[in-house]
Amino acid sequence: MNSRRAYSLAPKKAREKETKMAVRINPNLIDDLEHYGAQDVSKCYQCGNCSAACPHSENPYVFPRKSMHQLQTGQEKPLRSSLDPWLCYYCGDCSTQCPRGAEPGETMMALRRWLTSQYDFTGLSRLLYRSWAAELTAILIVALLTGAGFLAFGFMHGGNIAVYDGENAFLPAHYIHIFDWTMGTTLGLLLFINAVRMWRFTVLSEGAPQVGLSLYLRYLVLLPVHFFTQERFRKCENKKPWALHLWLMLSYLTMLILIMFFLKYVQAGPEINWFAHGFGYLSAFGLVVASILHLRGRIQKDAAYHRHSHESDWMFLALLIFVSVTGVVQHILHRAGMPMAANITYVVHLMGVVPMLGLEVPFSKWSHLAYRPLAVYFAQLLAAARAEHPAAVAQAAAPAD
Amino acid sequence: MSKPESTEGSMQPAAERIGVYLLSDIEDSTVDLRAVAQFASGLKSVAVVRTLEFLRRLNPEELAREITREKLTSVVLAGERPGRHKGAFTRALALAGGDGEKIRLASFAERSSGLTTEGAKQIVAGACAPEAGAASVAAYPAAGASKFQPSTCNPATLVIGGGVAGIQASLEIAESGNKVYLVERTGTIGGRMAMFDKTFPTLDCAACILTPKMVAVGQNKNIEILVLSEVQQVTGQAGAFKVKVLKHATRVDASACVACGDCARFCPTTTSSDFDMGIATRKSIFMPFPQAVPNTYMIDALHCQWVQSEGKKCGACAKKCAKNAIHLDAQDEIVELEVGNIIVATGYETFDAGRIERYGYGRHPNVLSSLEFERLTNASGPTGGKIVMKTKRLNKKSKQEEWVFEPDGPKPRSVAIVHCVGSRDQNHNSYCSRVCCMYSLKFAHLVREKCPEATCYEYYIDMRAYGKGYEEFFERVHEEGVHIVQGRSAMVEERDSQLYIKGEDIANNRLIELPVDMVLLSVGLQPSPGSGELAAKLDISRDKDGWFRELDYNAEPNCTARPGIFVAGVCQGPKDIPDTVAQASAAASYVLSSIVAANSLKEPSEGDELETGVLARS
Repeated sequence: MNSRRAYSLAPKKAREKETKMAVRINPNLIDDLEHYGAQDVSKCYQCGNCSAACPHSENPYVFPRKSMHQLQTGQEKPLRSSLDPWLCYYCGDCSTQCPRGAEPGETMMALRRWLTSQYDFTGLSRLLYRSWAAELTAILIVALLTGAGFLAFGFMHGGNIAVYDGENAFLPAHYIHIFDWTMGTTLGLLLFINAVRMWRFTVLSEGAPQVGLSLYLRYLVLLPVHFFTQERFRKCENKKPWALHLWLMLSYLTMLILIMFFLKYVQAGPEINWFAHGFGYLSAFGLVVASILHLRGRIQKDAAYHRHSHESDWMFLALLIFVSVTGVVQHILHRAGMPMAANITYVVHLMGVVPMLGLEVPFSKWSHLAYRPLAVYFAQLLAAARAEHPAAVAQAAAPAD
Repeated sequence: MSKPESTEGSMQPAAERIGVYLLSDIEDSTVDLRAVAQFASGLKSVAVVRTLEFLRRLNPEELAREITREKLTSVVLAGERPGRHKGAFTRALALAGGDGEKIRLASFAERSSGLTTEGAKQIVAGACAPEAGAASVAAYPAAGASKFQPSTCNPATLVIGGGVAGIQASLEIAESGNKVYLVERTGTIGGRMAMFDKTFPTLDCAACILTPKMVAVGQNKNIEILVLSEVQQVTGQAGAFKVKVLKHATRVDASACVACGDCARFCPTTTSSDFDMGIATRKSIFMPFPQAVPNTYMIDALHCQWVQSEGKKCGACAKKCAKNAIHLDAQDEIVELEVGNIIVATGYETFDAGRIERYGYGRHPNVLSSLEFERLTNASGPTGGKIVMKTKRLNKKSKQEEWVFEPDGPKPRSVAIVHCVGSRDQNHNSYCSRVCCMYSLKFAHLVREKCPEATCYEYYIDMRAYGKGYEEFFERVHEEGVHIVQGRSAMVEERDSQLYIKGEDIANNRLIELPVDMVLLSVGLQPSPGSGELAAKLDISRDKDGWFRELDYNAEPNCTARPGIFVAGVCQGPKDIPDTVAQASAAASYVLSSIVAANSLKEPSEGDELETGVLARS
């Protein structure tokens, strides 16, 4: 039996290599991470129970103990180039079993927030994550500007606030359509730049193996697969969070497609266009119910992964529920023959949509829509490259900063 | 002692403003901290009184702000272990621009169980008095203050618990010619140590050390052993305790029984042996192990058919006994003892590994707890000391398959040992059990010695080899080829009838999952069941982990808060055999000292005085 071969404990060469790497220490990192929600990291005594308990932790990506250690010792650069936090889906098994109450699960969550702020080139993300007041202020400012902008636009292009459809519509669908695409492109561009920075920090980091173009192409399929299925999330022992998340995400995606491509059917009324609205109702139902279930979980702290909530978590859920509910109300008012009220609710709805997407997608929690699948992709690339060229790895591991 | 301000010769000593910080960490405390706080706020020059949660981490900067705001010149820390926060206050005083040395500690620890609110008030008042020195150790007892010397002392002593601590203490006292009653809950003295095969780090045969002591106890005329007995009630005070002991009937006349074993041969009921931790069986009439003291058979009333059927069934043993030593109808009795001192040596039980489900204890037959392995590897165990795996066997009587150890069973080819099971874990016992690292290394050594072809893995968090010769033992075991993996393993799984152990190898930063044949769980120690009731009967206190509380951690680790009652061995806190034996002898010395002192007080002869006088002159 081959598997019975004794485990050799000391791959000396590998350890010698590690000692050559010099790492610059940031002693304030652990304090900094407290602003991102890391708690009790210093309680960890490196027993490794969490890494072995984690259903996602697999060689060569062994976490969360390693991240805890890097954080305790202030190894900023290795942490920044680490993909581990994105490979964790916070089932909370590590935190439940932790003999020290060091909350490794929440630390990984905090590291994801911190990494988001590191990837962001504007520095806005750092500001929003670290200060509750700044986030609220930013949301209010964007909301007010949006509200003022749409009101001004509605009146200036000759719209009538009492008219929802047709000739003198206050917010005609084709204009909103242009606005949506402008905003979508801008946000996409910002997120793209941040994603490129993520790629630079991780795949191109010092000590990482050379990844050939063929590998990039071979594993490209991972991106859509993990984007749409969140396959890794499903590996958590408890499937409920994955199912709930997938439902929320698919509902949102459906709504996004309706708005981006079929706005003129969706916004048209007051009769119900079942072809578009059928999907709309399904996704609106999903958005409202799933986000309320998430909110209830956080309030009741019903599971290890809901024990701690950062300000950004509350803000995100609050915005999502606000936007979903105002969208539904606006739709009902329109069908109920109250065009003026529908128009006003529409503006209010947009006052939620713009700050939610504008701030969350490139700078905050929502950016994980890109980082999660990218991390799975990058992790696979690096592992494959390492397996292909073990010799090259040894060279690349030569002295760093 | 004068106040430092006046010695500096400044014109006008600044008015002292004291901040009193009370630390509330005493569970079931007899002290009303609120009353003490109220009292303290009325004291002269006390500016602030605050109650702090003991376990809270204090922020020196926050404290410094308060010190500045209240213009405090010195701080009094009062509580059970005020030293814990001294560092934070030193820093705070320094940050506030004051003298970091001006902290006085007022400790309640010494009398935590007996301390009244009034007593606490006095301690705080003493620390706040102007003449109290910096960092004064107010309320520390004067040396020997705990050794309450009664004017008369009954020379008999009660020892509760017949493990190595109880044996050692009994022998020390009895050999000086004083009476000892040794009360033991099980059927034999010897305790946990009698179960062991080897002791660490010397690898001495445990039985070779213990059995001569056990025999000495059995033969000593001054020691009366009460097996199957439990303390029911304790009244009186130091020097004159009255104790009621419930003595369960052994139903075998110890003086007549010659331990021929005929009775057990004819006994029809088989049950699992407690002494063998359930990995072997015995009859309902049994002797715990061949070297048991007292060396007689006894009846397990819970499993005996005659007792359970109230005399309607069986009775085979009594009929077969050639000596007529078996009295099945014998009744439990209550024995009343009068003693001068009591030594508590109730030892420990091991953590129930089944509480941590992921290790699979109780689910997989070859996942063993440490005491089970001790019995397996012991020459008097079910396999005669061979290390084998459990095998499936058909029980002819119950017609069910069961997993048992058989001497010719297959040897394990790989064994994993997991440290810190139930210890150093806030979900279970947060303390370190102190002995597990070393006994785990001993297990690894035994595996390598008895099954040289087996690979052996140790999963540890930190290796605590703190004693004399321990580090050397660790190195020796390492050199013997044991794979010592840093990282607590997290789970044991069975796939295709093969156990796999999964853990992180921290030194190499990777996960490892190894196929193993046997997993040994190094379970921690916890207080014996019934410690709580015993503490209530004796009116002594326990700490938050359930161990009996010593009078003073450093100065009086043997004494309890109640004069005349002493603790020895693990019941006071986890410790190894040498420490247990040493503490038992120390407890005996306290007892002997009180007996001798009371006797010399009683009969002062002229000769004594003369001798003393001569000594004084020389």
